[in-house]
Amino acid sequence: MLALQVLANGILLGGLYAVVALGLALVWGVLDIINLAHGAFIMLGGYIAYYLFTGLGLDPFASLPLVMAAMFVLGYLIQWGLLNFLVRAPMFNMLLVTFGIDVVLTYLAQLLFSADLRTIRPAYAGSNFQLLGVTIPWANLMAFAVAMLLTGLLALFLQRQRWGRAIRATAQNLGAARLHGVPPRFAYALTFGIGAALAGGAGTLYGVVAQLTPYVGVPLTAKSFAIAIIGGLDNPLGVIVGGMVLGLAEAFGSLWLGPTYRDAVSLGLLVMVLIVRPTGILGRTA
Amino acid sequence: MRSLAWIVALAAVAALAVVPFTLSPVIVQFGISTLLLAVLAQGWNIIGGFTGYASFGNSVFYGLGTYGTAVAMVKFELPFWLGLAIGAVVAVAFALLLGLPVLRLRGHYFAITTLALSEAVAAIIANLDITGRNTGLILPLIRGDTMFYELSLGLVVLATLTVLWLSRSRFGFGLIAIREREDAAEVMGIPTTLYKTLAFGLAALFSALAGGIHAYWITFIDPASAFDISLNVRMIIMAVFGGAGTVVGPVIGALMLSGVAEVLASYITGVASLFFGLVIIAAVVFTPRGVIDAVRKLPRRGLAYFLDTVRETRL
Repeated sequence: MLALQVLANGILLGGLYAVVALGLALVWGVLDIINLAHGAFIMLGGYIAYYLFTGLGLDPFASLPLVMAAMFVLGYLIQWGLLNFLVRAPMFNMLLVTFGIDVVLTYLAQLLFSADLRTIRPAYAGSNFQLLGVTIPWANLMAFAVAMLLTGLLALFLQRQRWGRAIRATAQNLGAARLHGVPPRFAYALTFGIGAALAGGAGTLYGVVAQLTPYVGVPLTAKSFAIAIIGGLDNPLGVIVGGMVLGLAEAFGSLWLGPTYRDAVSLGLLVMVLIVRPTGILGRTA
Repeated sequence: MRSLAWIVALAAVAALAVVPFTLSPVIVQFGISTLLLAVLAQGWNIIGGFTGYASFGNSVFYGLGTYGTAVAMVKFELPFWLGLAIGAVVAVAFALLLGLPVLRLRGHYFAITTLALSEAVAAIIANLDITGRNTGLILPLIRGDTMFYELSLGLVVLATLTVLWLSRSRFGFGLIAIREREDAAEVMGIPTTLYKTLAFGLAALFSALAGGIHAYWITFIDPASAFDISLNVRMIIMAVFGGAGTVVGPVIGALMLSGVAEVLASYITGVASLFFGLVIIAAVVFTPRGVIDAVRKLPRRGLAYFLDTVRETRL
């Protein structure tokens, strides 16, 4: 029974992890930019949802689109006004600038929101239900469902929508995409904006099921890396695989080895996947 | 022109060398940590700047040097010099062994793997008895800031001379070829795996020596401070800010950024980290090729330099 409960916890956690990594994987896969501020975007989205809830009484699942819209604008502006100027510079420069953004956002969050632990707690936060002897919290299940929905919507957008296809074309061949009428600066800003919006959505869900502090950004960025690599970058659905693998590994890792080894499990997994299969579990073989 | 550069460099080293005898102890202490950061930035320059592999694992080598020295001195009661050598040997051996599988990965993948490895090594150290587990180790106390300062300065000079040699030797050209296009380098007959692994080992050597000196100077070490990822980020920032792949750029970057950080921290304590973040962003946007490049070209091209570099790197 315990194993079943841990399995359920791992799957619910894995779904959340999938959406946590989704924006990072999109930006990395399409723009070849590793956004070290991704976790800070998640943190910021979580705080926006928190203040919409405590200030206006807006339910986090209702405010999700608002948070995503706000984060989209922020992401769009950052790429358009800053990162677009560095696209052809060496790779380190982009890492450094996004690290700088992370430092600035973390500092501002500490200043504006203080370092206290915050959780978005709507009325249904503590309630749960039993299924086959397994306890499932409603909030976690809803977060899981929304996470899957967002991942699916992104996959559909990239597959079917005009601008989604333009984004994929940019990823494949910038020059050819330009010849076919895709304005690259707009395509880059759009992609980064969507990445930030997804981070905002992930932050809202994270704020419901976990605790927010200004410092959750860096560990979330690290986990997002691991998930994106385990799942591979070719397919947005890869993050579901990566998220599940990480969520289950952490859940069973803490059960069998003890909670202190929780992070070691995810890191060991990451290194193994990189050495054995660098394109990810779902990725094409090179 | 070339001899002028040598004279300037010698004068700079001489000026730095007399600091402990003329300036206050506070400045000497600031100098030691800054010089050790310069060594780290220069070590990263070998693998990151010359070879083009964005290593986030140099803090592992630093940590191994720290712990090698500390364990040798505390647990085996060996003299400092021997401990320093042991730390360096451990770190270099680790780099050579690890380099073989890890240096096959390219670009971001290499960066992330080295990042994960440093976390993993820190976790192992924190669980071993001989390294004092999570509580760390306390080294024998010694008063000698002047000695540590001159030692650090000597290490900066040694690292910089090594990089100078790289910039004119066959081995160094091989590394640059790997950075510019690894497949082409391989076709040209450069033994890429050997060269990359050696570069990794060389970076490990300097990082470990810096770690060993720091351990004895600071006298207390624990896993969190010895394997600090943000230290790795700082060495990259300093190297890139000064000029990755140049000879003196990383040292200048380390001196300038440490100076800025120190001034910010003492005058405007509260917002220091905010300004540090903004300084990083501004520096990378306006001088993407490093300060060295800007200083060299600014007098001739004036403000147009900034416009041109932005145009070059813009999408």
